Amino acid sequence: MMHIGQGLVCGSKIQDMVDAGLHFTIFLADWHSMINNKYGGDMEKIRTTGRYFKHCFTALGVPEDRVEYLWASELAEQSGYWEKVLRVAKATTTQRVMRALPIMGREMKSQDTEAASIFYPCMQAADIFQMRLDVACAGIDQRKAHILAREAGEKLAWGKPVSLHTPLLIGLAGVQDAEKGSFDEDPKISQVIAAKMSKSRPENNILIHDEPTVIDQKIRKAFCPPGVVEGNPLLEYYHILVFGRSEPVFLKRDSKYGGDLNINSYEELETHYKSGKIHPQDLKNNMTQILSDKLKGVRLYFKKHPEPLEEMHRLKAS
Amino acid sequence: MDLEQRLELATRGTVEIIQRTELAKLLEEKKTPRAYWGFECSGKQAHACTE
Repeated sequence: MMHIGQGLVCGSKIQDMVDAGLHFTIFLADWHSMINNKYGGDMEKIRTTGRYFKHCFTALGVPEDRVEYLWASELAEQSGYWEKVLRVAKATTTQRVMRALPIMGREMKSQDTEAASIFYPCMQAADIFQMRLDVACAGIDQRKAHILAREAGEKLAWGKPVSLHTPLLIGLAGVQDAEKGSFDEDPKISQVIAAKMSKSRPENNILIHDEPTVIDQKIRKAFCPPGVVEGNPLLEYYHILVFGRSEPVFLKRDSKYGGDLNINSYEELETHYKSGKIHPQDLKNNMTQILSDKLKGVRLYFKKHPEPLEEMHRLKAS
Repeated sequence: MDLEQRLELATRGTVEIIQRTELAKLLEEKKTPRAYWGFECSGKQAHACTE
């Protein structure tokens, strides 16, 4: 099920790009998912999920007539695609490809990587050139794949795609209980990825479908010690999901704790929180309200179109 | 919308752009630049965000 990292961070960025006048393709990477053993490589389940994503982005305010959807399997059928994969592979080295491998649940150091994985970063680069893209957007964990594409593009005289990277949203448990492992050479990115990976606990992530009561329950349990900024998911959510959207915050607060507060920048919020002027409970209550409002449209959409979500529940159960 | 506003929209909330000057040039010179985001199709909650 889609969580707010994908829904709100990616969804809003796509909206921005469309509003800024760019043509935008949402690429449903079915082949890549297969390589990465999503659903054990079952293409039918992978495509069901891709179709569900379309509904999610529509519900999040990216209507189908404003973006183009393309499946990786459609792109790969175009003539010249596999030649581009090989040309990219010729323009780089095994070492660089290995370093650009997606970290999906596997550690960089693991020795038993399937040989198919080698294709993945080469396909990512070839996708960009086959679609004749100018800009590649992704989370910051994809920077090595994009740099590989830029280097290959330069060598092959195909041009260098601009890479635009968004932050990764940490889970509600924060980064303090990050699983051990090396997912990136940058320790901070590695830590965030590790924290993101605690997928065994669904209460760690807010889903775009969560009802306000569920959001409230999850946020109540979130890691948010008074005055602590480092690894605090609540502050991160304000930083990324609110101030990152150029939205000011009207923090509602009980009058006995000082009353409502207008906050215009993340730095201001951080300063107040560090000094103890803002209590964790204020951060939590207001974030619950903000997320409930932001996700209202999604809940309404799936009430009207329950089928794709029901299909996803069936996949999960099977 | 002028170039500055379009650039602000495209870049807000990002942690890195390689390179910002290239993006500005692109928005200025190309009528409809082409962008994409690739998504792995996974129902698991972890990192479905990017390819």
